[in-house]
Amino acid sequence: MTAVLEVNNVTKMFGKFQALNGVKFKLNKGEVLGFIGPNGAGKSTTIRILLGMLKADFGNAKIFGKDVWTDAVDIHKRIAYVPGDVNLWPNLTGGEVIDLFLSMRGVKVNKQRKENLMKRFEFDPTKKCRAYSKGNRQKVALISAFAADADLYILDEPTSGLDPLQERVFQECVQEVKEKGASVLLSSHILSEVERLCDQVAIIRQGSIVEAGSLEDLRHLTRIQINLRTREEASKLVEQDWVHDLTYENGTYIFQLDADHMDDLIRFIQPHGVVKLESAPAKLEDLFMRHYETTEGGV
Amino acid sequence: MAMHAHAQTGRLFRFLLKKEWLKLTIWLIGSLFFVFIGVFAFTEVYGDAAERQAMAIAMSNPAMEALFGRAIGLDNYTVGAMYSHTMTVMALSLFALLSILLVVRNTRAEEEDGILEMLRALPTGRLSHTISALLYLVLTNVLITVLSTALIFSIGDPSMTFEGALLTGMIYGTAGLFFGAVALLMAQLSSNGRGAMMLSFGILGVSYMLRIIGDSGTEVLSWISPLGLLYGTEPFVNNYWWPVLVALGITALIVILALYLQHRRDIGAGLLPEKAGKRHASALLKTTIGFALRLLKTPLIVWLIALLMLGVSYGSVINDVEGMLANNEIIEQIIMSNPDLNIVDQFISMIIGVLSIAATIPALQALLRLKGEEKKNRTEKIITGNRSRIKILGVFLGISLVTSIVMQLAQLVAFGGAMLAMDADLSFGSLFESGIAYLPAMWVMIGGAVVLIGWLPKFTGLIWAYLGFAFTVLYFADLFDMPEWLTGISPYYHIPEIPTDEWSWTVTLLSTGLAIVLAIVGLIGYQRRDING
Ligand SMILES: Nc1ncnc2c1ncn2[C@@H]1O[C@H](COP(=O)(O)OP(=O)(O)O)[C@@H](O)[C@H]1O
Ligand SMILES: [Mg+2]
Repeated sequence: MTAVLEVNNVTKMFGKFQALNGVKFKLNKGEVLGFIGPNGAGKSTTIRILLGMLKADFGNAKIFGKDVWTDAVDIHKRIAYVPGDVNLWPNLTGGEVIDLFLSMRGVKVNKQRKENLMKRFEFDPTKKCRAYSKGNRQKVALISAFAADADLYILDEPTSGLDPLQERVFQECVQEVKEKGASVLLSSHILSEVERLCDQVAIIRQGSIVEAGSLEDLRHLTRIQINLRTREEASKLVEQDWVHDLTYENGTYIFQLDADHMDDLIRFIQPHGVVKLESAPAKLEDLFMRHYETTEGGV
Repeated sequence: MAMHAHAQTGRLFRFLLKKEWLKLTIWLIGSLFFVFIGVFAFTEVYGDAAERQAMAIAMSNPAMEALFGRAIGLDNYTVGAMYSHTMTVMALSLFALLSILLVVRNTRAEEEDGILEMLRALPTGRLSHTISALLYLVLTNVLITVLSTALIFSIGDPSMTFEGALLTGMIYGTAGLFFGAVALLMAQLSSNGRGAMMLSFGILGVSYMLRIIGDSGTEVLSWISPLGLLYGTEPFVNNYWWPVLVALGITALIVILALYLQHRRDIGAGLLPEKAGKRHASALLKTTIGFALRLLKTPLIVWLIALLMLGVSYGSVINDVEGMLANNEIIEQIIMSNPDLNIVDQFISMIIGVLSIAATIPALQALLRLKGEEKKNRTEKIITGNRSRIKILGVFLGISLVTSIVMQLAQLVAFGGAMLAMDADLSFGSLFESGIAYLPAMWVMIGGAVVLIGWLPKFTGLIWAYLGFAFTVLYFADLFDMPEWLTGISPYYHIPEIPTDEWSWTVTLLSTGLAIVLAIVGLIGYQRRDING
């Protein structure tokens, strides 16, 4: 598979503060990459480097095989960008700004498609930007991004101001461009969104990538919540190193299981006479929280 | 790569015009009106050569030269020379200001707002946004040059030759270009629009100061100052062109440097380090008064300096008043209400009236800041805290009253001090009496503003109309024979004009009483009405 986007050991300092430290990941054609991490981790900084707005101190990044700093204009002809915080000119209407952005991308615009998007997002393009709420300003950027085809979509927390219904519309849009073969870099806070949309995930913390891979692979690294009731006592569970946070209440064991030890668990509990076994699927959130806790705790 | 630095500049420029055309039109009309008033007033009021010559003598003292620039063309003080001498520095500063605002608004301010980020993510060059702002700067100043030239040449008198008019237009446009370029450079140094603006204004201020010092002796400093340099063209007197070329050359260098810095730097970054703010609020900031003072500190300091300068400049011309008036009927009529009295005394009492109205502006501004905060939805956070509405409005009212007193006293000291320095014969006592007599009238205005804040918060702007009206009455009541019932609406009109009139306790007590009643009515309204944000 060809890499649309490649980030190689990118480091960025703001004065003495190291915002990025050897960031490295890549995105293949036709894939959706979830770029997640807590506030201040360096997501936006990475994305601004990818857009040629900040210059990396070390390392390099390439999009479509071109250098992001020197070939910015060429690259930008084939991408669409949506920032999390959209500010616009107060005295122009949303419709005017959308048209400006589209005209500058130099792509063919399908008017029908644009109108359609406005309808789906329930967006009124005739108001001045000063009257728009945060969500509405974000819609201006989203509509300009999705109203014309791009090879790569770079989305930096693009749904932070949308309500749940419009977030649905956004997810459909991502699905649609993915089906057309475009690639998407989606930085997000909303893990359910990433779980639903992304094939690949890169987790960044304090300027470094702490986990990267396909969602499937990562699920194996995570833990599953288990509710277990057995006829005989199974107190030896606590001694297994793939069992965590075990509690016993009203005859039910509740614990976290390392996702790749399901097999061991079944073998272990079978002799005790299983009455009930419930498992909640691995959540990206758990994975995320685990990284959050370990680094926070300094482990 | 460099080839791509300006990709799609044309499209951005067209778009910029689309969002700016209204502002551009308003600014151009305002600027041309300023030029028009100057030329028109001089051709109409000073049509007579003898009057102009008297004026020339009045203008050639150190204080006036500091204010307006070195006196030029004195041996033949034509209308053109007079316009050049007295209006140039002010006009240059105005156009410089206009261009600074224009550049910062369209470059760093948009970058700070995150608008530039959206544009840079599109296939636009790294410099396109800046270059389109530069094109706009050039367009604006070319228009200013062409229109000013045409206006001056068409309505000026014969002494205003085409060459002089063109040179005048050129220095106006050049001042704009120069300070626009400075603002662009400052926009590279500071990481925010406010900082870029402050630095640029600072440079403009330093240019002004250099010119003042230069024009009062050390001549070389005037030539270092861009304002002094362009003033040195002496349109209608000597028509020197070389300063324009020098200024344009330096402008080009500044632009190149700014573009170079812009091309290299990260988006959002400034070359000057930013100071970290305070981690904790000081004990003072946590009190209502401390908080209000923090909001008002900068504008009040600026006003204090401005009023001090106003006081000094009026004070320093006092000895020349008689010469300056030189039987000029229009001006005489504005000042004189009684032909039997000493004209200098009447001039002084008129000036004190003008100063009093000027000092009312910061006092009202301090009070209306509370309304401004409400409009920005910030008062609710204070009021939902443990502070009562009465206390909050009371604090702003108190600051407003103190402001009126401090400003009035400060400018009286400046006015009187300058007069003493010019060896004018005056009594400091009667000067202060005259100024203090106006305080109750200023308080009536403040009381009126409290009523508006309390009962008609949407119409607080009316107080400015009222103040404007009071100014008109003061200036033109005698000229236009305004009827008594109309002039009486202005609280300033009732104040006795000391030294020609006597101090009146009746007026003082009645005005103060009215101010107190208004303030109480306003406070009651504020207590009862909805707070809108
Ligand atoms: N221009 C800048 N100057 C100094 N520090 C910055 C700048 N931009 C970002 N940072 C810092 O870099 C870190 C990463 O920020 P960012 O990339 O915006 O995080 P995220 O998008 O993941 O929330 C934060 O600690 C932020 O304060
Ligand atoms: Mg961010």
